[in-house]
Amino acid sequence: MIIRTKSLNKVYRTDEVQTTALNDLSIEINQGEFVSIMGPSGCGKSTLMNILGMIDSPSSGEYFFMENEVGGLSERKRSDVRKNNLGFVFQSFNLIDELTVFENVELPMMYTKVPSAERKKRTEALLEEMNMMHRRNHFPQQLSGGQQQRVAVARAIVNNPKLILADEPTGNLDSANGDDVMKILADLNSKGTTIVMVTHSQYCAEFGNRIIRLLDGQVVTENVVRQFL
Amino acid sequence: MWKHNIKLTLRNFQRNKTSFLINLIGLSTGLACALLIYLWVNDEMGMDKFHDRDNQLYQVMLNLDFKEGMKTSDRTPVPLAEALVKEIPEVETAISVNDFFNWRSDGGILSHNDQQVKVDGIHSSEDFFKVFTFPLIEGTKDNVLNNKNGIVISESLAINFFKTTENVVGKKLDWTHRGYEGTFQVAGVFQDPPKNSTIQFDVVFHLQLLKDNDQWAGNWTGNYAQTYLILNKNADVNQVNQKIDNFLAAKNENLTYHQLFIQQYSSKYLNNKFENGEIAGGRITYVRLFSLIALFILLIASVNFMNLSTARASLRMKEIGIKRTIGASRSNLMIRLLGESILLSFLALIIAVVIVLFFLPQFNDITGKQLNLSVNTYLISSFLIITFVTGFIAGIYPAFYLSGFKPSSVLKGKLNISFGEKWIRKGLVVFQFTLSLIFIVGLLVIDQQIKLTQTKNMGYDRDNIISFQWKEKLYDAWSGLSEVNNNDLFFTFLDELKKVQGVVHATNMKGNILTNVYGQGGVRWSDDESQESANVKSPIVGFDFMKTLGIELINGRTFSKEYQDDYSKLIINESAAKMMGFENPVGQKIRMNGNDEIIGVVKDFHYGSLYNNIEPLIFRFDPNSGHVLVKIQKGTELATIGKIDQLYQKFHQMHPFEFSFMDEDYQAIYESETRVADLSKYFSGLAILISCLGLFGLAMFTTERRKKEIGIRKVLGSSVFGIVRMLTSDFTKTVILAICISIPISYLIAQKWLENFAYNITLTWWLFFIPAILVLIIAWLTVGLQTVKAASVNPVQSLKDE
Repeated sequence: MIIRTKSLNKVYRTDEVQTTALNDLSIEINQGEFVSIMGPSGCGKSTLMNILGMIDSPSSGEYFFMENEVGGLSERKRSDVRKNNLGFVFQSFNLIDELTVFENVELPMMYTKVPSAERKKRTEALLEEMNMMHRRNHFPQQLSGGQQQRVAVARAIVNNPKLILADEPTGNLDSANGDDVMKILADLNSKGTTIVMVTHSQYCAEFGNRIIRLLDGQVVTENVVRQFL
Repeated sequence: MWKHNIKLTLRNFQRNKTSFLINLIGLSTGLACALLIYLWVNDEMGMDKFHDRDNQLYQVMLNLDFKEGMKTSDRTPVPLAEALVKEIPEVETAISVNDFFNWRSDGGILSHNDQQVKVDGIHSSEDFFKVFTFPLIEGTKDNVLNNKNGIVISESLAINFFKTTENVVGKKLDWTHRGYEGTFQVAGVFQDPPKNSTIQFDVVFHLQLLKDNDQWAGNWTGNYAQTYLILNKNADVNQVNQKIDNFLAAKNENLTYHQLFIQQYSSKYLNNKFENGEIAGGRITYVRLFSLIALFILLIASVNFMNLSTARASLRMKEIGIKRTIGASRSNLMIRLLGESILLSFLALIIAVVIVLFFLPQFNDITGKQLNLSVNTYLISSFLIITFVTGFIAGIYPAFYLSGFKPSSVLKGKLNISFGEKWIRKGLVVFQFTLSLIFIVGLLVIDQQIKLTQTKNMGYDRDNIISFQWKEKLYDAWSGLSEVNNNDLFFTFLDELKKVQGVVHATNMKGNILTNVYGQGGVRWSDDESQESANVKSPIVGFDFMKTLGIELINGRTFSKEYQDDYSKLIINESAAKMMGFENPVGQKIRMNGNDEIIGVVKDFHYGSLYNNIEPLIFRFDPNSGHVLVKIQKGTELATIGKIDQLYQKFHQMHPFEFSFMDEDYQAIYESETRVADLSKYFSGLAILISCLGLFGLAMFTTERRKKEIGIRKVLGSSVFGIVRMLTSDFTKTVILAICISIPISYLIAQKWLENFAYNITLTWWLFFIPAILVLIIAWLTVGLQTVKAASVNPVQSLKDE
């Protein structure tokens, strides 16, 4: 089991208002699964993704990543777990504007101290695979949305993460480009990478083997799309 | 990673050109100021430090314990050096050095065949070149000064006379000076004293010549020499001071109020002011002041970087959020962000060095130095360290602030600017403007005080008066004026001088009424033996002194040939009359040189500088004094001086006519203040410029960020003026807060500085009001241009952007 949460709660407090984003949420995700998370705006999808991605911590409850409790880890330790095991894909691509395509993809390996020659090799291989090699020296703003998201996916997987967290990866793309990205994710999943994806699109959600629906910070239904082997 | 960081930083600069330029201009001007000040401070701190045994090299100082207070002098008796070596075990070597001051002119003429050169000479005991490090090119330091017929000359002199420094030992040179004349053999050649040496001299004579030619020079009671010591390596300075405290009293019963102490020679240049017999600062004050100014200017420039970086944080959120998400640690990001400010600093350094090179000649003019950017490892490493530290200071807060963002919120595009952060930014702007305002107030105060010194009625007239030195033989009561020696030549000169067309009056004196007023101790004005004697300023003047300087006589008469006045006749000022308690001073007898009579009283006038109060003054009379003062008819200066020159040359075969205007000499007393004022002008101007650059950047960013708000307000009916007012009010409040803080601080600083002067300006309201209004207007202009532009944009455009 790669992810197991037990009674996760996340409460946001501002001066006067208290908002419960996650309410006693418990889920389990096995290694190799492709889980889609759906639900209306404000149901806690993104909060859940942030906690699963270890860029935010729960107010209470436990989060086991590969059977280790990580919810209560210090920021430094979480950052270590993150860079070695996780890859992120965002709706708004989140490429760094000042870096070229090549440099954006290469970036995560700099924090895992991969030697320069190896970085170059892996980046080039991935760009080739994503059909982006001819754009390697372009800056993000010179690319189309679909191209940017392919670069973002390449960046997410360059360190061979065990888990990819995709937050509405097709939200800013037209259907053709969205399809491309989904196929890449499905392909990665078929090669063994666990994927957790937030989406509004039923079509995209069905690329996964299981759909979890959230409402008001709680799981309302879990549908198995196809049996996970 | 380094490569990655540098690349990213450079691309960032390229992308945000305006803030990059604002930061670059601010930091480079700030750094240029700091580097110029560093060069100056470094030069000041390095004065006299080049001697090999700097740590052991001390000078003996003399405290004279007068009733009116302790006076400190560096002139000590000639026999002291030898006695100290004999009696104080810690003293390894000691020398007496005399700079011909007793003949009121260190300048003499050395000549070889037809060639004559005016030179500055000193007398010294034999170990001069062992104590000081002035390397010898010819001769050895053990014996170069062991013969009183030998002289040691500078490299320049040797080249001047012989075109070489080789084999000049043994060659003969003729010496002409008021003190004595003769033919001397070159015994050695020394390298010219470096610029950072306080003592500058061209030739060294044997000390015995001084004693041979001035019968008082060898006595314990005559303070004819500066005494320098080399202490043993492990000597305890406090112990030495204890041992020598009453050293002179033991040598001569008249010296009971003379106390000695030692001061490290190289520290004397900066610590040359004494109060109550103890070191009380001096030039070190300016070194500290300017170091502080440099620091503040760098801080002001750094604040720009801090403010612009944190204000523009939203532009950096994405990079920081993504990097944190994919695993960059906070320290990774801090290094990246700090690297940015440090890299910027180094880019600024390149420009700063160009600025320094460009302004160095002017800076040298103002400071009176000869600074240069000679490439050496010390200088380079100092520059690099200053630059690195500046970059670090500028970057540390933004790095800390930006790297602390939570990745989850920055990726959502949410950046909660807390109340505290806004205040830090405002606080930094307040800090900048407070400093700038203090600079400007300081500048105005110094300027006003200098104006006061120039325009204050001193009670005498220094306009159109020139002074010069009679350099031919002149005898006085101390140096063998007798029937054999007379000063007839000098008197003829004075008589003819008075006849020169354009000369209104002429007089003569000993010393100098501006910088060197003689004093005499042991003055008593009653028969009561128990009355303590006083030390009174007592210049020695010739005929027509009061007339020449326009000093008002209020009682009695002045010195006159008619009455055959001699040394026993005195004229006092009002303060002296008051001190002595005489209602009718004229005709009163006081004891100064014996039985002396007061023949006149003059109105108090302000001799010396405005640093000091008017003290009691007694004019002594001696027509045999070589410092000549001439009042010239206004408008005829050029022609008259030409005629005086011709006359002077008739009486001086060897010496050129060198004169100075008294009003210029007076201004020279305030040389350091004038320099500080000049420098402050530039530095406060720059401080304002850099602060405004920062404000400009902030204003630009704020209007940019509030573009949509401006559009909505305009749609809802706000006028351009209303929007400008809204946008500027924030900045106005900030600057007004800076004004409120700066006024009391600058008031206190100005007050403290003015305490140095006995006569000072009053700190009036406008000294603070004008800078405040000036800064406010500059700030409005800076911000206003931006806001008017933003407010005038058609709202359709700004709203469409969304």
